[in-house]
Amino acid sequence: MTDTNFEIRADSLSKRFNKTLLFKGLSFSIKTGNSLSLTGPNGSGKSTLMQILAYIQKPTRGSVTFFQNEKKLEENDINRYIGFTSPLLNPYEELTGYENIYFVLRNKKDEAKILPLMEEFLLIKHKDKSLKYYSSGMKQRLKFICAVINDPPILFFDEPGTNLDRKGKDLIYSYIESVKKEKIIVIATNEEEEIRLCREDIKIAQ
Amino acid sequence: MLSEIFRNLRKDFRVEFRNRAAINISIAFAGITTLAISLTAGGVSFSPRVQSIMLWIIMFFSAMNGLAHIFIREEEERTSLFLRLNSSLESVFLSKLLFNFIFFLILQVVICPLYIFFLQVDVKSPLLFLLILVSGGIAISSSTTILGAMVSKAGGKGSLFTVISFPILLPVLWIAITSTTDALEKRASAGFGNTLFFLAFSGVIISISFLLFKYIWVE
Amino acid sequence: MKATKLIFIMMPLSIFLAFMWAPPAEILGESSRIIYFHVPLAWGSVLAFVYSGIVSILFLADKKGKYTLLDERAYNSAGIGMVFTILAIISGAIWAKMSWGSYWNWDPRQTSITILMLIYIAYFSLHSALKDNESKGRICCSYLIFAMITVPLFIFIIPRMYPSLHPDPIINPERKLKLNAQMRTVLMISLFSFTLLYFYLLNLMNRISFIDNKYKEKYYEE
Repeated sequence: MTDTNFEIRADSLSKRFNKTLLFKGLSFSIKTGNSLSLTGPNGSGKSTLMQILAYIQKPTRGSVTFFQNEKKLEENDINRYIGFTSPLLNPYEELTGYENIYFVLRNKKDEAKILPLMEEFLLIKHKDKSLKYYSSGMKQRLKFICAVINDPPILFFDEPGTNLDRKGKDLIYSYIESVKKEKIIVIATNEEEEIRLCREDIKIAQ
Repeated sequence: MLSEIFRNLRKDFRVEFRNRAAINISIAFAGITTLAISLTAGGVSFSPRVQSIMLWIIMFFSAMNGLAHIFIREEEERTSLFLRLNSSLESVFLSKLLFNFIFFLILQVVICPLYIFFLQVDVKSPLLFLLILVSGGIAISSSTTILGAMVSKAGGKGSLFTVISFPILLPVLWIAITSTTDALEKRASAGFGNTLFFLAFSGVIISISFLLFKYIWVE
Repeated sequence: MKATKLIFIMMPLSIFLAFMWAPPAEILGESSRIIYFHVPLAWGSVLAFVYSGIVSILFLADKKGKYTLLDERAYNSAGIGMVFTILAIISGAIWAKMSWGSYWNWDPRQTSITILMLIYIAYFSLHSALKDNESKGRICCSYLIFAMITVPLFIFIIPRMYPSLHPDPIINPERKLKLNAQMRTVLMISLFSFTLLYFYLLNLMNRISFIDNKYKEKYYEE
């Protein structure tokens, strides 16, 4: 992983929701090894900006481009390179935790990786429980596993610490800390601790 | 790609069968309408034409509950983003299409014996009857898959799906009804050609849907 | 489209010709004059549908945003088409009553125009259900394209399903026309005027859409 360099370039992004202009003319770029936090008051468009970066939404104006070793990536392939968690992202309630992770897993040969990760994030006891019976903190940890299980080079976290207790937060923060040198990490948050995890910060004003 | 489709299909079946509401309601609806027709008819036997009209109307309306559900569920439970991030466009479409094929088949397996049993239907040409059912089912489920995706984006309003799929499905229903009448009366000649028409129709519809799907699925 | 202003000459002219100049048909008598309105209306409803479909294809294919508001144009065209369709159905029913004795009898042409109306209704239902959805344009255009592809299938099917009472296809030049030269001229002029009317209305509605869009853009920028 370390010898491939990824880059995300955002070029004069603007987003308008019907009547409100969220942001205008944002340009920046992030490379592998760098981490970025997006901060701003509620409703300022942190999550929207992140979704635009992850190609989930389209900007009103401007563009986002992904590069792998200076080569432009095809839009259709981008999903393979990103991991994403967000309060908007819901795994299947009817499936068990294990089944959900297995569904996300791209290379089925890596099935052996599931259990250690569940162990690490303290979900091993609940692996055969349907997600309906998960607490919100457990779901948050499960979503985190789903984002990282394929070991993508680019990770987007929208408020990764929500609903987590101290222990859970420490777990995911130390995980982010351990991989951040070889990946691109973008966190949308207002938590001091999460901002400190990142090297750069973009403030979105209202 | 193929493994991705199977992965999606397996997930859909798991989710649908653990929460059987949609399928149960469709099947219950089918059973009740069949019974209702038989009861109210009070033993009067219908002409083959009327029998085949009713058979297809029952199938059409009971399928309406279920065919769109596969996409509506993703929106209702807000899992569509999860699905979109984790599987390719093509595999989503094809797995939902396969699911609808199978769903329609299950529905037919339930409806047809009940219908034949309660309404004293005499099938003179079982082979044609079977072929028309299967190929008509394929035609209906392939044209409704993409319509289901459209409706799910509109907030999954149940009757909207019937409204937008009816004009598209009319040719299928027409031909299915005429051919089923043929099968009941054993005038098999044109009927087999119509199975081919259904398959060609499905082919055209599936390829168009496949092209259009990305405009609907990706926001 | 300045040329569409011709409508102000052509429409009165065709109305005048239809009532004053064209002779009544042999068997149908004076009631046959409805043909000069019914046929062009039916033609307009199909034209509007095809136009909407083609514009929809352009809308989906146009990735660079070379054209503006194509989805709105498809919507406007469908709106006019819907009105034309309803008027064609009504005028057709009146004519059917005059010549065949009943308003409605599922003649192939009646059937096909009903299906066209159902498609329009479906399209507008979908359009209104998607109110604030960002992908409204794409979904509605997809539906129109999808519908446009299934419609030709009806042309093969419907004649097989129902026997026709309709006069020989009037637009089809190979078939024998029961109209004499004078009537044919009036019909052609009338067809031309209604085509003009369609484009005139479409042009007006598109301009309204453009102004509306511009206004909104200005308003939200501030």
